Amino acid sequence: MQALTALLAGLVFGVGLIVSGMVNPAKVLGFLDLAGQWDPSLALVMAGAVAVGGIAFAVAGKRSTTLLGTPMMLPAARNLDPRLLLGSLLFGVGWGLAGFCPGPALVALGAGYAKAAVFVVAMLAGMFVFEWTGTSADTVRAGGRAARGERVTPDGETTPSALPLRPGPAGGT
Amino acid sequence: MRPAFPDWTWRAAFIAGLLLAPAAYAIFRALPAMTIDAGYPTLIIAGLLVGVGTRYAAGCTSGHGVCGVSRASPRSLVATLTFMAAGFVTVYLVRHALNS
Repeated sequence: MQALTALLAGLVFGVGLIVSGMVNPAKVLGFLDLAGQWDPSLALVMAGAVAVGGIAFAVAGKRSTTLLGTPMMLPAARNLDPRLLLGSLLFGVGWGLAGFCPGPALVALGAGYAKAAVFVVAMLAGMFVFEWTGTSADTVRAGGRAARGERVTPDGETTPSALPLRPGPAGGT
Repeated sequence: MRPAFPDWTWRAAFIAGLLLAPAAYAIFRALPAMTIDAGYPTLIIAGLLVGVGTRYAAGCTSGHGVCGVSRASPRSLVATLTFMAAGFVTVYLVRHALNS
């Protein structure tokens, strides 16, 4: 059942990305091109998504379980570390170079674009680079946290150990 | 991806939904064209940066930009401002400063 709702969520998300134009790199780059013929429309897409998301997360924050009865898990990390800044910086440069971010790239791959496939393969390679270089640091940190009775989600975010370990929906792609 | 992922099923289902979205959309109307101007070398470099960056930052345009900002998460606000700024500067450099 959880897989079915996730599939539907992916479908709705993907169709939204198509309708809004987010899957079109030319449109994304037009939005990022402040000095050229700036196309501000994607800012409205973001504003609309945040407005809907704000209501959804406000409701979610008041609940301890999801509608399917599984424990509600929301990201708990609040620390601003260099990894967050460096990672966001690298991501932003890649986004500006190609006009693709992870979700739209997967949708474009589903639409059959060979260039999207190349981008996604490179993106997965980049994620594996993180697994090799970042995991050792994560393991050390996770070990330290586990010793203090905390649970660590795959994204390295800490949640109180009273909550069952079930990685939350946010913080991914 | 990592052994610590206990429930990859719903994650795989979500990815499948994204991949199937164009087919679902095409049932109702013609799929709009996607213009990918970047060449293959650029796509590979950009893909690597997006892959590494989103993992290090634990989020992207969706994870931080939409979901995190919706929750008013300070981490996500900082991340979103950072990658937006990086995107603006990158496009400026590629299209205007280096290509004039």
